[in-house]
Amino acid sequence: MEHSSSETSEKTFTCQLCGLSSSYSYYGQKPPNTRAIVLLEECFVTKDPFNPDREKFLVLGSTCSLCSLCVCAGSDCSLFYTKRFCMQCVNKHLDQFPHQIQSELAKKKQSSKAAVS
Amino acid sequence: MDRDRRRDRRSWDWDSPQCRAQLDEVFFRRHDYIQAGSQEHRDFWSFFDRFQRFKTKREMAGGRQEDGGGQGKTVKVDLGLPKEYDARYRINVSVCTRDVEERLGKSEHRSRQSSSGPGEQEISDLRLALLHFLDFTQRQSFGKLAKLRREQKNLPIYQYRDRIVELVRSHPVVVVAGDTGCGKSTQVPQYLLSAGFTHIACTQPRRIACISLAKRVSFESLNQYGSKVGYQIRFEGTRTPATKLLFLTEGLLLRQIQQDLTLSQHQVLIVDEVHERHLHCDFLLGVLRTLVAERPDLRLILMSATINIKLFSDYFSSAPVLQVPGRLFPIQVIYQPIPSEEQPTRTEKLDPRPFLRILQGIDQRYPPEERGDLLLFLSGVAEISTIQEACQVYATHTSRWIVLPLHSTLSLAQQDKVFDISPPGVRKCIISTNIAETSVTIDGVRFVADSGKVKEMSFDPKAKMQRLQEFWISRASSEQRKGRAGRTGPGVCYRLYAESDYDAFAPYPVPEIHRVALDSLILQMKSMSLGDPLSFVFIDPPPAASIQTAVTYLKEQGALDGTGELTSIGKLLAQLPVDVVIGKMLVLGSLFNLVEPVLTVAAALSVQSPFLRSSQHNPDCATARQPLHSNQGDPFTLLSTFNAWVEVKKERGGGSRKWCRRRGLEEQRLYEMVNLRRQFKELLRSHGLLESENRDASAGDRGQRRERLTERRKLHQMKRDHEKQENSKRKVLRLEEGQDGEMSSGSDTEERGRGKKDKEGPGQNVDIQEVKFKLRHNITELQDAVTVSADMSSRQQALLKLLLCRGLYPQLALPDEHNSTRKDSEQVFHTKNKQGVVIHPTSVFAIDPEVLHVPEDDSREGPDRGDSSRHQLLAFVTLLETNRPYLSNCVRVPALQALLLVANSVDSNADCTRLVVDGWLEVELRDAEEALKVLSTVLTHRAEWERLLRVKLEQNTVEGALGQGVSRRVLEKLSEGLVRFLLYTEVTYSLRRLAAFQIQNLYVGPQPESELSRDLKPLFPGAEAKPHPIKGGLRVSSFFTYNCLADSRDLYSECLRTFWTCPNCDLYMPLTPLERMQHEASCRPAGEQQQQQEEEPEDKKPGPSSMSSLNRVYHCDVCDEDLTLTSTEILKHKRQHMYSTK
Repeated sequence: MEHSSSETSEKTFTCQLCGLSSSYSYYGQKPPNTRAIVLLEECFVTKDPFNPDREKFLVLGSTCSLCSLCVCAGSDCSLFYTKRFCMQCVNKHLDQFPHQIQSELAKKKQSSKAAVS
Repeated sequence: MDRDRRRDRRSWDWDSPQCRAQLDEVFFRRHDYIQAGSQEHRDFWSFFDRFQRFKTKREMAGGRQEDGGGQGKTVKVDLGLPKEYDARYRINVSVCTRDVEERLGKSEHRSRQSSSGPGEQEISDLRLALLHFLDFTQRQSFGKLAKLRREQKNLPIYQYRDRIVELVRSHPVVVVAGDTGCGKSTQVPQYLLSAGFTHIACTQPRRIACISLAKRVSFESLNQYGSKVGYQIRFEGTRTPATKLLFLTEGLLLRQIQQDLTLSQHQVLIVDEVHERHLHCDFLLGVLRTLVAERPDLRLILMSATINIKLFSDYFSSAPVLQVPGRLFPIQVIYQPIPSEEQPTRTEKLDPRPFLRILQGIDQRYPPEERGDLLLFLSGVAEISTIQEACQVYATHTSRWIVLPLHSTLSLAQQDKVFDISPPGVRKCIISTNIAETSVTIDGVRFVADSGKVKEMSFDPKAKMQRLQEFWISRASSEQRKGRAGRTGPGVCYRLYAESDYDAFAPYPVPEIHRVALDSLILQMKSMSLGDPLSFVFIDPPPAASIQTAVTYLKEQGALDGTGELTSIGKLLAQLPVDVVIGKMLVLGSLFNLVEPVLTVAAALSVQSPFLRSSQHNPDCATARQPLHSNQGDPFTLLSTFNAWVEVKKERGGGSRKWCRRRGLEEQRLYEMVNLRRQFKELLRSHGLLESENRDASAGDRGQRRERLTERRKLHQMKRDHEKQENSKRKVLRLEEGQDGEMSSGSDTEERGRGKKDKEGPGQNVDIQEVKFKLRHNITELQDAVTVSADMSSRQQALLKLLLCRGLYPQLALPDEHNSTRKDSEQVFHTKNKQGVVIHPTSVFAIDPEVLHVPEDDSREGPDRGDSSRHQLLAFVTLLETNRPYLSNCVRVPALQALLLVANSVDSNADCTRLVVDGWLEVELRDAEEALKVLSTVLTHRAEWERLLRVKLEQNTVEGALGQGVSRRVLEKLSEGLVRFLLYTEVTYSLRRLAAFQIQNLYVGPQPESELSRDLKPLFPGAEAKPHPIKGGLRVSSFFTYNCLADSRDLYSECLRTFWTCPNCDLYMPLTPLERMQHEASCRPAGEQQQQQEEEPEDKKPGPSSMSSLNRVYHCDVCDEDLTLTSTEILKHKRQHMYSTK
């Protein structure tokens, strides 16, 4: 951002699937002030804006472990199952995911279809 | 399962607080992400319970996935995923508890033996729950964020986002036009903010919008708990140095410009709702037009509905316009003109039948399950109650409607009801003034019924009167009203007029600048040095006559001098955010020792009356109010009400709410008064009109101070808690809600509502107003101030009345001479410009008009002559014509004294027995001797009053220089003199209005120079007695012209010389009235004539106040000080200097 010079490193995260964008303050696995908590992937993290406690964090998203697409944490865009997968990769390799996840996604697809039609 | 066995063995109980506490020790320590005792911690444990229940249910159902854990053999595939499903794998967080594990490792054996303490299994159970909890909270917050972004994206304005930023970057002025629902008010500021602009100010016509927008935008820009987005309104604000986007009122931005013409604190200005064309907004645009030219770095964005856009664009040299479509659902328009037999006539009440038909029609056409409320637009309060009554009968009959009125004179609690939800199968019928057109937005409205009428304030410059008249609305208003039906879904709009009527409507409403008095505007323009108001380039210039009237008025008020420049008092008045008359009161009050009551009265007169109209007819309220009433006038009633309220607050704190309810008082107004009062005090202080209080921060010992500090911290916490809870859910209305009628308004209905809220949770019963009040005001200090005005003596009261009268001048009304023979309800009054006005029914004088009558036993020379020493006048704050011209906020004053002390023009005949005041009131005094005495006193007192006022005002401009100011003694002497004059002037006189033919031949006119005396010395230093160029006679002082009335006899006719003894010196000789006044003025017992002092050392004026009359003001040239001393003391004082100089 050309104008945001005064701001302390305000960077913007943008989901490459749904376009959701928001500024993030940290990228990595150990956001500040999280103590015993460790993230299992490198994440784009911001302060949780809906929590009055300043020290609570919110994971916005991360990169897909297969295609490196930058995706948000929303269930329409990505899925975490030991690693982060963007929805495109999930669909490509759906058969490799446990059946619980498969049926869950199928159900979701149906309901969203129903909502559209 | 063996886990269960183990648990049994060790008697681990998840429900036991002790067991939980032990785990808290492991996971929720002070430095952990979630700390024991925090909200999250409480949330976690309730989540934990749910989680455990869920797990048990799963296990019971035979699912065994959870056990998979580490034992299950994982089959590697190319994605490297574990074959065995575990919900745990879906969580991207881990809680690293190595330290905990280590501790457990060490104590493994110990814990096995001891029956208490969490074991490995419990730790891992808890960790798993914690992971799920963290994942859950992440999902929750992310869900909110995603929803927010989705909503933002769906707004019509979203696709113009980049275009808007680009336009603002490349143009100094941009017009964004969009209709309701396009999102411009919330989004445009955010777009600019995220594009990197800072120091953005966004104005709103209404205070409430500043607050709600700041709240919404800070939430949307993910800064809910920060201060990047703030608001600032008259008394409150959330602005900090970190604030980048500020919502503020138009008036406040104007004040900022007044202080800094370059407005350097802002870089981007957004002026919202410019199409509403408020007075402040039109003026603001005019000022900004100049500013934009001077500050090329400044960006200005005008936001408007899509009406009359070209006007704004053209005004700013063809600024680019970006037009955004609105987002409204389709609305069906049905024209239902009122049949002629149901048309309201001038005298009759509104016929409710057309409105009832709409309710019936809705009931017939739409099943009750289909939700949707009705919003009915009427012109005024009287109309609303007529229709409300009729609709209520229908509602009670059908049980399908809840009828609610909505207008600004309702209590806030009642206004708030329109936002509550109706029970299923029942619709709200909200009957509103045009307040619901823009100011108040109610969701869930599906039907709109539009009467097409509006009551609008206009100003009649000829009668100097405001007028509230009914008009047809404009097409723009009509569309706006219609739009209210399509905010949440498709709607229907019933228009109670024909389509041809609609076509004949004016396209836009008349802008405010064309309708109102421009006094304050002109004053503000003068103080901003904007030159001649007539040549200022307004977007839509007001009529020149209107400006001229305002200039004349300001001259009359002494705010502008003869050449139209600001006087020193005018400069001050321009800084005060109040009406000129109220401002004058404040300045006058600060001179005398009456600041506290004047502050209260000025504040009270600047807000809406706290007395609820609806409670006036409630006998309980009336009785309870009785002790608050003062027959001196409404300002005194307001004063005693405020004082009593402060006492109650001091004693009972939040209990004041009940106290107010019982008296039918809107407490909110009292809170506004106390805030305004404080603002006035600060303003006076900052202008050096009030000594700064030594606010003793160190008052009380350390313990007390600490106590106060703790108290404040507690209050702040309460305020924060309240703010968090604010968006608690709306309550559901009861079907019988509307039936309470207006009678019981604000009393028990509120109590019930309150009771319901109390049950919702702790903290809900906090009276947030009380909390804010405590935070803002020091009740002890306030009480002290109030005590001063509560214990006012009759003398102080008389002086206060005079100050109010001088402030309100020329707003004076004369009781009609036949009032004593009329019914109470038919008392008539006359102002200079308007005859036959009546007192508003809310005034104390409407209840008790007799106090204004001339006592009968007093009219000694027969009632037909109307002679008395007790004539009274009313000074009033407003003259407003609705169905009749009404005076409101009146105070009664002794007529002769008040007139002579405040009037701008007093003309006399040769022996001063006939006086004409301001060219409309004639005073005839019986006794020439007394007449002269009175005039002489007036001349002396007024000269002194003016002098002291000037000194006081100059003192604050030339700070520190000759910092003597006004000595207390001089002031006391003046107030003593004024009070004595007000209370003890016992002269008999008649008082009447001049007839038109009398006004025509009032003055003798200019006379040849030779006839006038050449050797007349000036009566007062600085004011020369000169022949009056128009009236004739001699202009003795700025307000008094002697012998100019047409019946006057020759100035030097011998018969006018009468023998007279001067009370100060022993002069005894025949003198003309003028000669006598001249002597009296120069023989003032001031120190100027020192010989005289020595000649008459034992001079005593016999009288009731002989003690003080012995003292006189002596100006010692050596000390350069005014001293109040007796004659002997003066001699002593002088001698003392003689010795010291030697």
